[in-house]
Amino acid sequence: MNARSSAATRSMSGPSSTDGIAAVGDAWNRFWFSPADSRPLAIVRIAAAAIALALWWSYAADLQAWFGPAGVLPADTVREWRSPYGFSLFDWAATSATLTVLFAATGMVFVLLLVGFATPVVAPLAAVLWSSLLHRGPMLVGPADDCLSVLLWILAIGPAGEHFSLDRWFANRAGRPVPAAGWRASISQGLMKVYATAITVAGLLAQLKGDAWWDGLAAWYLATGPRSGAAGLVPLLERSEYLTNLLTHGVTAFEIIFAIGLWCGPTQQLVARVGLVGWPLVGLLAGEPLWGLTMALFALPLAMRR
Amino acid sequence: MNTSSDSKTPSPATQAAVTVALAVLLLGLVLSIAGNTGSGSSAVVRTIKSRLFSPWMVPPWLDLGFEYRLTHGSDDDGDFRIEVRRQGDSKAAPVRLPGRLTGERAARWQRLARSIAVEDADRDGLLAAAFGRGMFDEVGAEDVTVRALRTPLVDRGGPPTAPVQASSARVRMVGGELQLIRAEPRGEVAPLVRPEASGNPSDGGTGNAAEATR
Repeated sequence: MNARSSAATRSMSGPSSTDGIAAVGDAWNRFWFSPADSRPLAIVRIAAAAIALALWWSYAADLQAWFGPAGVLPADTVREWRSPYGFSLFDWAATSATLTVLFAATGMVFVLLLVGFATPVVAPLAAVLWSSLLHRGPMLVGPADDCLSVLLWILAIGPAGEHFSLDRWFANRAGRPVPAAGWRASISQGLMKVYATAITVAGLLAQLKGDAWWDGLAAWYLATGPRSGAAGLVPLLERSEYLTNLLTHGVTAFEIIFAIGLWCGPTQQLVARVGLVGWPLVGLLAGEPLWGLTMALFALPLAMRR
Repeated sequence: MNTSSDSKTPSPATQAAVTVALAVLLLGLVLSIAGNTGSGSSAVVRTIKSRLFSPWMVPPWLDLGFEYRLTHGSDDDGDFRIEVRRQGDSKAAPVRLPGRLTGERAARWQRLARSIAVEDADRDGLLAAAFGRGMFDEVGAEDVTVRALRTPLVDRGGPPTAPVQASSARVRMVGGELQLIRAEPRGEVAPLVRPEASGNPSDGGTGNAAEATR
């Protein structure tokens, strides 16, 4: 429908449910299909590939001990353990050699994703191989692995190789112009915003079921955890209960503000930029630094929006 | 697809198809979060999710509840590790995992230890058995004890805590068959009732010692 005639009709007949539905439809289309610059997606691609390589590397030394023919997690046991819909290409790696080759291929795909070579093919392949690796040993998987999986699928949907990539370099050499903003980038960036909110809200609800987030002691338990990167804070927290409480409530407040603020026009960019710093700090405190970095990546496109 | 000028805005048909796909994905996301909580989920959410959404959301590792509680300050938030030793040989040095490892590599061993300690009970010790068998060569015996240890969280102002046993199982190979013998936690073993105490109503005895100790 012509936008001007639609507005005229509305002004004559007054607001109706049809107008409401049309407004929702317009907002939906604006959110998902307005052309968006794919540069932020390219930066997310580079950072996600770097995190993927770090997580992939954490499997390397124990690969045979876990998944090898004489490993502690035989494929048939894991198939029985995981969801019946679980699927892993690594299940077919029955020998040490095939396991090593498949694992090395996964690392190579992440390197190609990092440099942006054949990205439209490599990005989905990276997502498939990563989810396969996770399904091969679900009991080894942590929050950073989960969030990276989501991020890789989102990158597979969007044009993540249009900038800062070998693909772009080859295109420049061939004289192909820099692509204009497109709707696929918009969908990827919209999904990042939706998932950033969903993950934050789900985590927040899970946290608030425990007393430690209400009595203000959660920061203490996190900082004294064996893998926390905030061990230096422990003497301070031991001296001051108020500081412990403030840090705990600060994390909760940050998560609430992040989840809501991403959707408020005037605040969303500021909140996204705060998220770029806040999530890595929460990750450090919780002993999950790569998870914190991955969460920050979900906020990156909004933080970069002009 | 990447660079053509018509990719700036989708055609109405493409837009409709993508809208439907997005709506289904978002519904799946909501159901995944609602259906994967530690608090449990309703039968209707479970059924809809498992029949209609899990078949396509599980394979790409998207059926996630994102229930990252970080900590509740409870026992389950402690630091888990695994200890394997030759059965009956208390002098032999046990194999400890993750041992001195650090970072994400250590975290993966700790998650495995936590799975053995917390989740394995619902799966008939499947993981403990596989783990024990996988450690036969390392330990140099086909009869081993697999223990998952948990270091409880330190209370504010409290002393450092020592690791406690979260689960223990004996894994052995007998005649080519793998056997798992779980060491039940003391709290789950019925208390012994001495014969002389039974039959006395004031002790709560039933008058049948054999039944009380079964």
